[in-house]
Amino acid sequence: MQCNYCERNCRLEEGRHGFCRMYANSGGRLVERFPDKWCAYAVSRVETIPFYHAYPGSRCMVVGTAGCNLDCRYCANAYAAKEDPASLTDILLDIGPGQLVELARKQGCHSIVFSINEPTVSLPTLLRVSRAAKAAGMPMGCLTNGYATPLATALLSEIFSFVNVSLKGLDPEFCGDCLGIADSSPVVRNIRELSRICHVEVTTPVIDGENDHELDAMAALLADINPDIPWHVFRLLPTHKMSQRDYPNIEDINQRLERLRGSLPYIYFHNFIGSEWVGTRCPGCGLEVITRHSLGCGGDKLDTFRCRGDACPECGGRIALLGTRVAWNAGEARA
Amino acid sequence: MSLAILDARQWQQVVDLGTGYKIEAADSPLVGMVKGVLARHPFPGDRDPRGNNWVTDTALDLIDRYDPGFAFLTYARQYYSSRYSPLTAAERAEMRDAAFAEVERFSRESGFTTVLVGTGDMTQAVTPIDLTGLDGLAVASNWSARYAGLYGLSARDMDRLTGHPGLERVATREEIVDLFGGGPEDGSRLPEQMAVARLGHYFNTTSLRRLVMLPAPSYFVPVSANLDGVASVTDVKSAVLARLGREKVAIAFLEGLGCNDFTVPFTACRNGREWYCYEPGDSQYLALTTGEHRVFEHNGGYRYYLDDIERKPFPFSGYFTSLPSGTIGQAYPGRSIAVGNRSMFMHMTTGCDIACECFARNLYNQGLMAVIHRQDKAAGVC
Repeated sequence: MQCNYCERNCRLEEGRHGFCRMYANSGGRLVERFPDKWCAYAVSRVETIPFYHAYPGSRCMVVGTAGCNLDCRYCANAYAAKEDPASLTDILLDIGPGQLVELARKQGCHSIVFSINEPTVSLPTLLRVSRAAKAAGMPMGCLTNGYATPLATALLSEIFSFVNVSLKGLDPEFCGDCLGIADSSPVVRNIRELSRICHVEVTTPVIDGENDHELDAMAALLADINPDIPWHVFRLLPTHKMSQRDYPNIEDINQRLERLRGSLPYIYFHNFIGSEWVGTRCPGCGLEVITRHSLGCGGDKLDTFRCRGDACPECGGRIALLGTRVAWNAGEARA
Repeated sequence: MSLAILDARQWQQVVDLGTGYKIEAADSPLVGMVKGVLARHPFPGDRDPRGNNWVTDTALDLIDRYDPGFAFLTYARQYYSSRYSPLTAAERAEMRDAAFAEVERFSRESGFTTVLVGTGDMTQAVTPIDLTGLDGLAVASNWSARYAGLYGLSARDMDRLTGHPGLERVATREEIVDLFGGGPEDGSRLPEQMAVARLGHYFNTTSLRRLVMLPAPSYFVPVSANLDGVASVTDVKSAVLARLGREKVAIAFLEGLGCNDFTVPFTACRNGREWYCYEPGDSQYLALTTGEHRVFEHNGGYRYYLDDIERKPFPFSGYFTSLPSGTIGQAYPGRSIAVGNRSMFMHMTTGCDIACECFARNLYNQGLMAVIHRQDKAAGVC
């Protein structure tokens, strides 16, 4: 049989699993190998994921499972995404959907965000969690590499109301060398599709000499899809199989981004301590309407929210937001 | 105002430590000097073999330029490596010896009398304790193996915890307040109950990575025998201050090393009270640097996330919301520095005039941070 969750479309013989090692063929049925198993849960700021334009200031519960359908040479979470999930079963937590939502509520969280590995490898579990979360009035978000089939993308949009898609590169050579996939056209297709249905932000990790020359093309692409899409350009930390690489030069990258800010109003440059490019400016009058701190790997943080609802307090122009500010401790009342 | 210099490699920024806001035109000679030190010594990484060399090299550079009388150093590479890397006994011993060699190099090249303190022994991580199924809430930090805060427990939870094979005890807030001689007003940052794990067990509530070794319950920790009159980690501050009038002194805090690891003569000093012993972390640092137990404010079970509000003070200082008072750096009138690879503890718990530290979290190496608490002592130096 063929797995139809991600664009690898792995062929699975009876009893065997595919590339991500999370689905198997069991008697002709595609089944999850590790349902309801989680590698971690933790309280986080939604800005840390990063989501800058969804429920600013809110507290979310970050969760992850194991496994991934890509083979990124710079994976930051290789300990969960690259390890054989079967080797992690002794430390994976067994938490049912209702219990997971209850855990988020007890910690005063406004939402649940899947962000440690790839949600496409755990869709049936996530679908069950989303039903429990919807019943509890708790939104769900995720970080995804977007390398999903149209069917799985429809499921992602059913589960998650806010999604951050990682657009890692466009050049097929880069995709082959650094990500282990043929090309990124499915990712682009899915950004386009998801942005029609739910709140979408996009993240691009920049690697010197690998994909930095593609920033112009990626910006043009996003502007064509929807210029309101917030774009997070991440300074890549040399990790995993690229740990010996240099740190990308901040000034050089920012110079390139400066030219692009005219076509995309919400471009951010972060994943390093003290970044000056994490505030949201009103596209109309230029006022900084949301001030944030970039705490590097400590995550990002809302400092000041000046919008009135989703409007600039100065000129009244609309700021692209999902929801509005949620006070950090708002959920404590129902915890 | 305390200044923080953020160094993300080839790019630096100066901010107000209290607000996190960028400060324009902050480049005094002292700031320029510290920026230069950071630029010359990029941090190699928590588990990198050069991680402890970085501490000595940076401290010596800073001493050359600032001429302090007191230095607080932390060497943590062996702690991070033991936690996350499977090592043989020989590899651990080699790493331990390398840490002691770095302290020795510091002493030799700086001329400082160096007092060595270990944070405690390590032990194999045997069994995770899963408290996710409680009706109430269990809160454990990534960095605490032994303690978890408990809130809103039901009778069913209490039954389950009482018979749990991985737990040594469940202590109430009142028991902890009594243990450390506090009053009812002291318990606001203590959990309702504290679960205490047995040797080798650890709480698996938020851990992201597989743990290999973790801190063993260490009721005693080693303090090198060149410091007299100490029976507890809380005695170190006053004993060192007494020496500082006569000579230049450094404290070298060796993380992940206990009485079983020390290769120099030492005194085994109390590391807490009765069953409550410190793990490597904020409360142990503060016991050492303030001479007081600060368990009421810093413990393994507080829901630190409650403090993470918008405009939280000291945004670059982790879960600290204020500068601790009574630290050794504040008490010493001469010039002081802190250098270490255990992130924000350097600038928050030592009170030293200048602190240089790695800016790494969960093993992700983002660069460096230096904090200048005191610019007024630099006259004639920079």
